[in-house]
Amino acid sequence: MAFKDHRDFFDRLEKEGELARIACEIDWDVEAGAIGRRNYERQGPCLLFENIKDYPPGYRISNGTTGTWSRVALALELEKSTAVRKIYREYETRLDKKIPPKTIKQKNAPCKENIMTGDEVDLYKFPSPMIHEGDGGRYIGSWDLVVCNDPETGWSNWGMYRFMVHTKNWLTGWPQTTSQLALIYKQKYLPRKQPMPIAVVIGTDPISHIMATNPFKPQENEAEHSGGMRGEAVELVPCETSDLLVPAHAEIVIEGELLPDKIAPDGPFGEYPGYRSGTMCEGVAVKVNAVTYRKDPIVTMIALGTPPDDSSIAASLSAAVSMKKGLLRRGVPVTDVYVPPEGVTHLIVVGVKRGGMETARKVLDYFTARRVMTNKHIVVDEDVDVFNMAEVLHAFATRCHPGRGIGFEWYEGRANSLTPFYSPEERKRLKGVSVVFDSTWPPDWPKEIIPIKASFNSIYPPEVQEKVVRNWKNYGLK
Amino acid sequence: MAREWQTFVRKFEDMSEGDVEIFIKDLSPGPRKYDTKHVRATVAKTKEALPDSDTLWIRGESGLKYAEPWAIKVLEELSETVPGQPWENVLDAIEKQR
Repeated sequence: MAFKDHRDFFDRLEKEGELARIACEIDWDVEAGAIGRRNYERQGPCLLFENIKDYPPGYRISNGTTGTWSRVALALELEKSTAVRKIYREYETRLDKKIPPKTIKQKNAPCKENIMTGDEVDLYKFPSPMIHEGDGGRYIGSWDLVVCNDPETGWSNWGMYRFMVHTKNWLTGWPQTTSQLALIYKQKYLPRKQPMPIAVVIGTDPISHIMATNPFKPQENEAEHSGGMRGEAVELVPCETSDLLVPAHAEIVIEGELLPDKIAPDGPFGEYPGYRSGTMCEGVAVKVNAVTYRKDPIVTMIALGTPPDDSSIAASLSAAVSMKKGLLRRGVPVTDVYVPPEGVTHLIVVGVKRGGMETARKVLDYFTARRVMTNKHIVVDEDVDVFNMAEVLHAFATRCHPGRGIGFEWYEGRANSLTPFYSPEERKRLKGVSVVFDSTWPPDWPKEIIPIKASFNSIYPPEVQEKVVRNWKNYGLK
Repeated sequence: MAREWQTFVRKFEDMSEGDVEIFIKDLSPGPRKYDTKHVRATVAKTKEALPDSDTLWIRGESGLKYAEPWAIKVLEELSETVPGQPWENVLDAIEKQR
């Protein structure tokens, strides 16, 4: 049975030895973030801080819910030792299934156990962490799920965007200007100068958070995909102050309006590429009209930074599968796409059946056609295991011709302004450049001149391989 | 007792002395630490130049803290936001109003 919320997933994590409860008092001001960050860098368990300075017993902060492949596997109800390749396959298969969400009554929704509206709203009731020393504020929305609606088509969109506490009843945040939230706002609300209702949802079932990171096409409903991925409908409930539907088992739901004529500072913030790099004071302001929350609420934190963490792992999975589908639609003979978490979606590996610069160009065209979140693309032949970065690096070093095998494309107005190497001017203009490294053999080379890879699996005949494997122990080798 | 505040600028050199309109974060310990105030204030490079003032720490766009604190005297508290369109630069919007 699918995990219905953040808490029952913790029960499973605990059974699997993947959860550490921190009982001693922890300061929400930088200490929790520092522990979370160090824990990521040591590939440690999911953390649950149970005793937060300045806050009542029961108020908690979690970090790293699905911050490793083993915990992603558990979220998908697979064995925790499942190989990354298998996790990708499972995700890809389930992504084609959709199960519509189920709307439940407010009285049955755990996220309605406590309700604050109007003047009662006080975001300081929650232990929002100051995640990194020097951030622009306390980010209550770091591992969140943000809901907004297209008022004309009824499309309900989920995304994951940073939101910080500005005052007791205002949030500021920075959904990128090329995000789907920005698209809906600019097309449907801004022309009418209308506020856009949004809900910042904290602490849902683990799959729904991952679905919020998935780059679906516009009009795709993430809640349906989350149901398909989980094998069970997601339960939603109406907001108190808008028509939005939000996950009913969430820990905290912040209901507000993104205002068309008011702004306030957001950021800077240590972001997913692994740097805090100048994105500040260019976001949105949200007036909070209500907050609903469970008893003993958990604030979900992600101490974002150098990979791996929840963000780089989730993006590796969700982005790669979408990219593979998109490339296939464009006629690229893709075998697999891998987004190494270490490359924080800046670096993409594409395996193809037939390589060459023509194919590499098609790959680059796909990645630069619309909003561009990636910038380096390595195209490899199908004999290279895209999930094995040692093999990828070997192919890149030995097959990519520095004169003929590199193509690049400049663009403006759609680059990823979080790319650390862009200058302030480039970030402002969303000006960027992407490169493709054709690390395949030229398809017009006759077979007999293609160098033969000198690996055990490729330079020895099958009968010799089989004999060596069979006799391995007889040779006195382990 | 003097309080401590924090503000963000793009570059340290953008900070100028005199009367300014800025957003500041309250650094008083407790559950409301980092609450934001939008204020009109007088700021100076040193406490000596602004008697009976609070401390103001300055950070750049990457969060780097300027080594020496400035001084601030809040003259008036303003609304939580400034007029502007979503994704418009807040610092430019304040400049535009002046």
